Amino acid sequence: MKFRYRMIPKGAADGVVPLNVVFIDQADAKACGLTDADAVKLVAKDLGKDCAAVNVMDKNGVSVSSDGIMNPIAVTTVAAVDHGMVNPSFGCMPLSEIPMYETMMKDEPHMRQWLTDKFAGKPLHRGPNKQDLGERTGHNEYMATTGRIANNNSGSEFFNVIEMTEILALMAGQVEIMNDGEVIIGVAGPYVSVGIGMVVSERWGRIFGGTNLGGYKPGATAHCSGEYAKTVKSDYPVIAAPKPKFMETMLDALDIGLVPGRELGASPSLVSVAHAYGKEIAFDRITPAAWVELESVGITRADLEKPVAKPYTREEMIAHAEEIIPGIVNPKAYKVSELVEWREVEI
Amino acid sequence: MKCMHTRLPDYYAKVEAAAKRLRPETKFSISGMENVETAKLASLRCGRIEQEIVQVTEDPEIAEIEIKMVPFNPEEAYSVVIKGKRADGSCKKAVLDNMYATIPSVEYYLFDAEEIDDRRSGSRQYDV
Repeated sequence: MKFRYRMIPKGAADGVVPLNVVFIDQADAKACGLTDADAVKLVAKDLGKDCAAVNVMDKNGVSVSSDGIMNPIAVTTVAAVDHGMVNPSFGCMPLSEIPMYETMMKDEPHMRQWLTDKFAGKPLHRGPNKQDLGERTGHNEYMATTGRIANNNSGSEFFNVIEMTEILALMAGQVEIMNDGEVIIGVAGPYVSVGIGMVVSERWGRIFGGTNLGGYKPGATAHCSGEYAKTVKSDYPVIAAPKPKFMETMLDALDIGLVPGRELGASPSLVSVAHAYGKEIAFDRITPAAWVELESVGITRADLEKPVAKPYTREEMIAHAEEIIPGIVNPKAYKVSELVEWREVEI
Repeated sequence: MKCMHTRLPDYYAKVEAAAKRLRPETKFSISGMENVETAKLASLRCGRIEQEIVQVTEDPEIAEIEIKMVPFNPEEAYSVVIKGKRADGSCKKAVLDNMYATIPSVEYYLFDAEEIDDRRSGSRQYDV
């Protein structure tokens, strides 16, 4: 029997990808009788003296981007492998399924997306629960580390801590990778850098929140670093979805009445989309610190408060996605089939 | 107390002595705790390390013992002490802050090892 997995190799995308990133389809692992952790160990051995960040993905699952947009994909385990090894305590971390709890829709109103036909009933995975964290302590991020590689923020930031290189993989981009679609690879730039900090409050979120809700409410900035927020992640390469597809995920959330700044993060992309779509933005809930960061990339309250003469329809929004959604410098489109190296292990 | 615990300088002396016990010419180095000025170490652990060093040197091919003290948790939190001192050396003000560091985990020091004998306790060993 052969176990197959996808790898975006170091040097892919015209040299932009700085380290190996492996994506395992959990269904492929299960078909071979492998747990997530077993599959990670197989990848470690298969790569020999090489290293990689590894995500195990459930294509039937759902997850949430940092600004609260639901995506039809879930990372079920994050890992890092190097020289055939997986650090036994820190190299592999499951992200257990999160059950719907009684007050979820009140406490995390962006999760109303989970009730829509597109996502209802699908297993949710975001960040780790207490058991998933294992020996990690309070100061540890949601990270898996082995040797040179760290896989951070529940499978969306991958580092080589020796070479000090990093690549971001937005959830919508990971959807494309797992469905052999098309991705955009470029440099994150100031808009994405600001947007990453505009988080929502969740229990067991991908970045913040445990048993208690994460402290940063929609409309706040977790970066909270003023004009510097636009530089925090601006020079990192990023894997994203084509903007029309990215647009659809945001429109789905806006169409059920979710509002940037109130239920969703006030990221540059979400406020720009809501404005062009003629949808509400919770201006007064966006904190002064978040406004400083938005204005540092040229998104001002004055401009957003001026309604557009004629809001775009959903179809027009998708057609004009490239001009409406800001962000990503020097973007280049790649077919995933041209980017990914399929690897096989005999088991 | 003294039976249970070993001073850091004593640990350094003990492990070097262990490295040279069978062959005094064995080269020796230890690194990783240079910024720790003083500490008490578990004597039982020190004894284990001494014994393991001697076992490694029983192989006549071994000419050098290199010990790396690597943080168990690769995502370390440090307290930073910034001390402002007068010309006479007295400290007028100290500022405390946090520093977080993601450190290459222990595997980084194993890349060139032909054989790994993982004797860590608990559930911290590599699968065999």
